[in-house]
Amino acid sequence: MTWMMKLRKNNPSMQIFLWLYALVSVYPLIWMIFYSLKNNDEIFVTNPFGPPVHLRFENYVEAWSKYNVPVYFMNSLLVAAATVTGAILLAVLFSYAAARLRWRFSTVAHTYILVGMFIPIQVIMIPLAILVRDLNLANTYGALIIPYIAFNISFSSMVFYGFFRSIPIELEESACIDGASIYRTFFSIMLPIIKPAIATMVIFIFLNSWNEFTMAVILITKESLKTLPLGLLFFQGQFTTDWGAMGAAMTIASLPTVLIYILFSEQVENALTVGSAVKG
Amino acid sequence: MKKFALALMSLCLVFVAACGSAGNNVANEGNKETVKEAANEETKTEEAKPVKLRIYAQYADDDTKLPYDYAVAELKKEMPNVELELEVQAQDDGQKLKTYAATGNLPDIFGAGLDIISTFKKSGNILELDQYVEQFGFKDKMQPSAMNTLVTDDGHTYAFPYAGNEFVLLYYNKELFEKNGVKVPTTYDELMTAVKTFNAAGITPLSLFAKEKWPTVSLFDMFVTRNEPQGIKKLDKGEASASDPAYKEAAEKIVELVQAGLLPKGATNLNYDQAAALFHQGKAAMFLNGQWEIAESTKHLGDKVGWMYFPGTDAANYEASKYAFSGGGGPGGYAVNPDTKDKELAAKVAAFLSLKYAEYKYTERGNPLVATKVDKAIVTEYPPMMQQLSDDIAKISSTTTFAWGLSDAKLKAAIEDASQSLMTGAYSAEQFIEDVNKAIPAAK
Amino acid sequence: MNKFLGNKTAILLFIMPALLLYTVMVFYPIAQTFFRSMYEWDGLSEGTFIWFDNYTRLFQDGLFFTSVYNGLIFAVIITITQIGIGSILAFAVADTKFKGRKILRISFFIPVVLSITVVCQLWLSIYNGEYGLINKVFELLGLEYKQDWLSSSKSAIIAIAFVNAWQYMGYHFALLLAGVKSVPEQYMEAARIDGATKLQAILKINIPMMAESYKFCLVFAITGGLNAFANMFIMTSGGPGTSTYTLTYLMYRSAFRVGEFGYGSAAAAVLVIECLIATLIINRLIARERISY
Repeated sequence: MTWMMKLRKNNPSMQIFLWLYALVSVYPLIWMIFYSLKNNDEIFVTNPFGPPVHLRFENYVEAWSKYNVPVYFMNSLLVAAATVTGAILLAVLFSYAAARLRWRFSTVAHTYILVGMFIPIQVIMIPLAILVRDLNLANTYGALIIPYIAFNISFSSMVFYGFFRSIPIELEESACIDGASIYRTFFSIMLPIIKPAIATMVIFIFLNSWNEFTMAVILITKESLKTLPLGLLFFQGQFTTDWGAMGAAMTIASLPTVLIYILFSEQVENALTVGSAVKG
Repeated sequence: MKKFALALMSLCLVFVAACGSAGNNVANEGNKETVKEAANEETKTEEAKPVKLRIYAQYADDDTKLPYDYAVAELKKEMPNVELELEVQAQDDGQKLKTYAATGNLPDIFGAGLDIISTFKKSGNILELDQYVEQFGFKDKMQPSAMNTLVTDDGHTYAFPYAGNEFVLLYYNKELFEKNGVKVPTTYDELMTAVKTFNAAGITPLSLFAKEKWPTVSLFDMFVTRNEPQGIKKLDKGEASASDPAYKEAAEKIVELVQAGLLPKGATNLNYDQAAALFHQGKAAMFLNGQWEIAESTKHLGDKVGWMYFPGTDAANYEASKYAFSGGGGPGGYAVNPDTKDKELAAKVAAFLSLKYAEYKYTERGNPLVATKVDKAIVTEYPPMMQQLSDDIAKISSTTTFAWGLSDAKLKAAIEDASQSLMTGAYSAEQFIEDVNKAIPAAK
Repeated sequence: MNKFLGNKTAILLFIMPALLLYTVMVFYPIAQTFFRSMYEWDGLSEGTFIWFDNYTRLFQDGLFFTSVYNGLIFAVIITITQIGIGSILAFAVADTKFKGRKILRISFFIPVVLSITVVCQLWLSIYNGEYGLINKVFELLGLEYKQDWLSSSKSAIIAIAFVNAWQYMGYHFALLLAGVKSVPEQYMEAARIDGATKLQAILKINIPMMAESYKFCLVFAITGGLNAFANMFIMTSGGPGTSTYTLTYLMYRSAFRVGEFGYGSAAAAVLVIECLIATLIINRLIARERISY
């Protein structure tokens, strides 16, 4: 591995680029926290980028008083957890069958599932809302969880499909010769190999669900079922917006995900190394 | 292993089913509604049963929150058995409300503007209120001058209004005009001189929150009204073409002024807070907004702020069109879902809320331009600018409409987009005429 | 082997849950959209069947072409930047000897974690013509070059595309990183023994072996670009005028602002077909054969 070290030393510009890029990536997080402690004047005119002149914690008080943050938070968590579980499960099963098992319409089915990625949610909002009503899902957690799972299947299937396709066929051949069933092969050989992909998709789907606004605002009307992004509605008036308090609401919604991500990314990293160990 | 897979799948199904069953009660209620309604009719005489009504209304800033809270508090005194469950209106071009209508999940009472009224009228999602207007004597409670906000073009009432006829005003910072030796413009030429002088002094001539499209339409409309008092309303009726001289000149004038630096940099990306800050902090000499801005501007600028009559093409035109105001009002307010359990009750609540909403705006928010009569004394004294406007109201010879009061949705979208494009200075009057004319409805 | 991989029960068990849920919740509404695109319909009342009139109108509508063009620009910009920069970052961070790689990895992903509203607000400030960061930088450099990034109808779509490209770069970074990690070590070892430089190894071994990863990243970026909506909805509302419209925005405008749901559905149908064609092209271009070791 010494040759790689050498390369690194020869390449300080790469180092600088990476660290600069990291800085640029982290800044919005800091900016959001600054923002949540400012008033409209500071946000837009006098001081849009720097730290707040004085800390307006009242924005948080304001945000917290507008809606029931703990309830919204728990709902977001529950919906996201259920969505992640459901979508990963369905997508992994489907894409394994589509990518590796032999049946006539596997490619067609794969493309069919992909179409879900091509349609922006606004387009099908009304038929979807009618469907949610007809399935008796209106005003239940299912009103969000079921569509969220369904809409996450397309993208996650595509990713898993790609990963399954890169696995050498010899693995299944030897499993077959050893007399393992297809289920056993799937659960004990295939799943561990695509663990890095699963770990990555867990984060993606979690974020998708956590930040989703368009469906939530229309499908959920019951106060006790609302998720965090809906809190923003309380700050946007027809003509004016309380941006500081909105910033506070956004920080309240985003900070936990950043923390969850930072904690969880360790797990992802482990999954990634385990994955490659199996293969190497 | 096979068992495991089976178990996994049945787990999925159970999960789906569980999600569904929790919702059954709620959805079934909808089906039972018709049965219940019949029952309700009979028992109504018993009175004062607790009723829960869903309402979808504006509730975000002081101008919408405080009047709403007041109206609800008053309702509690008047009809203690009625409980309102509020859903905050989203700023989404009616997407949510229309989806509600499509799924049969419309709240009992909802805030409706002209666009919602005309769409829902066609699909039968809004209750015609004529009978209740009669029954509650609502007409007598209206300001005679605001009758247009109660009745739509087809002669029926679909919503109890609270907002009256409102106006677009051109605010200006007197101090900045004096300091820079600029005459308050009365003609287009003087306006151009003002633009040039302010630019040379590093002051933005006119601040406009053009990220929202309606202020750009209003600015266009102000120019049009110099020669065509009906302004954009005439286009809406299909009685005029954008290539008619009054409209063509207005577009050309705006392009000319914008190119000379009328607006702040990036005006089409300024929201209200940003544009207002420029004016309130003395960085912009003029500001265009509705008369509801009076309170806010007075708060920041005190007696330095005033509003001016819009400049005319020349001195004679200025005098002649002085009282041709831009803005106006239209049908809108609290509407009722035709499928609500107790129509009369919902209508009664809607009417009551409108009256109280207007009352608060009138007494506490310094806004006399409400739809209904208010017999209570004013708590918050009118600022001088409002006094000036009140004094003028009788003299106003004509009004037009705000963009949201246009009845033809296609024209509305087209003129909003085209007017905003005018603010970039890179869009010609010819393009404007072409784009708007494509959307003008056939004369009714 | 064929019997092993052709186990009918297993196939059904694996695909049915996903197919069922997807068909009901996603595909059925899409099919409705196609169906409704042949109606003159306001979304609520009955509507009249008008065959392909909406499409004929669409192909004569200037706004339609603006929207398609903007979608393509958007797709090209985000595809190039996200996959390009995403690859560089992924290959750099994949190296286990790299110091601080954990911090870097977390940092690169942060913009994705934030909601799109936050990121758009930030960029609105950065692009601002009066006090925006970009113009300040030009000022510091002593350049007189000041731009209204979002207010000029020419630059606005590009400016918005970069916001999206920047925010969601983290997705591609993470996906590609997972892809790099699943390339077996022994291939890199072999390359090292052959005396290849790191760059050569990446180009000759990693990238071809990651064909599948690149395939889905491409599909993801291009379709994401074609149906972009949220960025312009928050940043410009399609403006100035109509200069940042995309097909999704056109659909939104037609359906909700104008009340022509059928016409909007036609725009959406074109969008779906556009994305489908793009996906099929990508699948053609990138070899389909299964990689064998």
